[in-house]
Amino acid sequence: MPQIELKDISKIYTVGGQTIKAIDSVSLKIARGDFLSVVGHSGSGKTTLLSIIGGIIRPTSGNMLFEGGDISNLDDDALSGYRNEKVGFMFQFASLLPVLTSVENVMLPGLFSSADRSDDYRKAAEYLDIVGIGDKINSYPSQLSGGQQRRVAIARALLNDPDVILADEPTGDLDEETEADIMALFKRLNHEKKITFILITHNLHLAAQASRRLRMTRGALEEF
Amino acid sequence: MTKSFTLFSFATRNLKRKPLRTAVLVLSIALLVSALVFILSFVRRVDTVVRTASDRLGADVIIVPAGSRGAADDILLENTVKTFYMDKGLVEKVGRIKGVDSLTYQTYLASITGECCDVPETIVVAFNQDTDFIIKPWLDKAMTGRLKKGEAIVGSESAMNISLGLTEVDSHLFGNLFKMVGTLEKTGTGLDTAIFIDESNIEDILIKGKSGLKPGQISIIFARVKKGEDPSKVAGDIQDSSVEVNAVARKDIGRNILSTLKDLNRVFFVTVMLVSVLSVFLVWAVFSAIANERAWEIGIMRAIGAREGHVSGLFLVEVLFIGMTGSILGIVAGTTISVFLAKNFMLLKNVSAGLGLAERLVIALLSLTAGVGICVAGAMSPIRRLKKMEPLLAIRKE
Repeated sequence: MPQIELKDISKIYTVGGQTIKAIDSVSLKIARGDFLSVVGHSGSGKTTLLSIIGGIIRPTSGNMLFEGGDISNLDDDALSGYRNEKVGFMFQFASLLPVLTSVENVMLPGLFSSADRSDDYRKAAEYLDIVGIGDKINSYPSQLSGGQQRRVAIARALLNDPDVILADEPTGDLDEETEADIMALFKRLNHEKKITFILITHNLHLAAQASRRLRMTRGALEEF
Repeated sequence: MTKSFTLFSFATRNLKRKPLRTAVLVLSIALLVSALVFILSFVRRVDTVVRTASDRLGADVIIVPAGSRGAADDILLENTVKTFYMDKGLVEKVGRIKGVDSLTYQTYLASITGECCDVPETIVVAFNQDTDFIIKPWLDKAMTGRLKKGEAIVGSESAMNISLGLTEVDSHLFGNLFKMVGTLEKTGTGLDTAIFIDESNIEDILIKGKSGLKPGQISIIFARVKKGEDPSKVAGDIQDSSVEVNAVARKDIGRNILSTLKDLNRVFFVTVMLVSVLSVFLVWAVFSAIANERAWEIGIMRAIGAREGHVSGLFLVEVLFIGMTGSILGIVAGTTISVFLAKNFMLLKNVSAGLGLAERLVIALLSLTAGVGICVAGAMSPIRRLKKMEPLLAIRKE
């Protein structure tokens, strides 16, 4: 059984009276521990696809299965639980909350979890150390560089030990050295923890490092 | 180093990010609640004072010179210094009215200030100890035996006013030396601010000529009616018997004040409602702005697993913090105003001072509930809108 299965997923937006088909009848199977890259032009539907897999939007039609269960029709509480426990999200922009320190930003998913959180601080500090900014745990986002903020977001995505990490252009505005560091970290986590990675990027060099490469064109998906 | 991270600490960080905005909201709620506390204290106290004074008067019917009923209310209920006079012969005339059981009378004199050892302006009550049933119940507890010529006894608040606090201190009244021999128990009526002397002193006061009183005049007659008689009917009969007097049954004492109070209540109610609605709109406007500003953050929170309840909880903590802080400040301010500022107004004198702890607690609780309720009511709609947004749309601030 695949870990993730998209069955004939479509997503239609209505903007200003016009309908836009962002995802057009996409089907896809992803096994546990896969490392996927998705490339495509801006507006091709990459972020929408990632958002449907992450449960932050619902498809207009079709089914999104996770470990055999359909998440498309879950109620808000169950879907929030899925996002909290199964998925780690990295956005294409700095997504840290400005009033929280690095370690608090990393601990944030724990605040919404029903599991025992007594170990969160230690885990958050450890993940910040792993991503290379263990000396910045009490810094606020405004005191961090773009690369450091990305690393905090990675640590946050890891806190709840997710099964899948969804990364939407996580190295988009970073220098080559930081980009290489982050990719190395992703590969290590993928290899050691068997975390499934779905990486959206414009960078074909990065995309080439994935075990499966996909391209989106006007809402349609193809493997290449 | 912060090791615990809770929804509460998160909410307080959010409040601190725009301290001026938070302070304005807190102050707005504080102003509303302080006004509410002041108004409730005022209404409650005036109502209690009037009813207590009326209940404790000891007479069934009060007879004053025609046109002086308002002045009599002022003296008996509001501690105002006023004088009015009528012919003493009216005592006998009133005594002949059917249904009247017993009578006593008093003469009111306004003390004057300016000379050494004169007491501050106070109403001085000359009364007849042989017939009195108004002062006696309170006097008997203060001293034994009769009040002699040249002796005076002071109301509980007069004692403080003239800095006596102690008996056996001499003071001047209308140029005559009086020995203060006792302090009346607190009655909760106009008697508390008066000084009491026996009517035998009036002759000396007339000789010194320092009061507006003329020989053969008195100020007020108190009547008790026979058992089974209706005081209102007896008052009506007295009124009909002479155009020189106004007679009023005890239950009607302060009716004008209570009637005015009812009108004031309505004005207060409308004012408080308007201010409350305004406050709800203010909170709504501020939280709508906050919701727009933080939609992106809420989207991020929702994307990493926050439920609708977490979003509501976070904002509710912020709203409750603002509501409770504002309300507590308002309760302290409102109580302070009602105690101190009220003394500057004739009608409000001692308005709050006499409220019991239970009454104060009820007023505080009502005001706290109103303050917090207004905050919650104002913030509900923006919070609901925010928590219902799809995470991706919130992140994109759409």
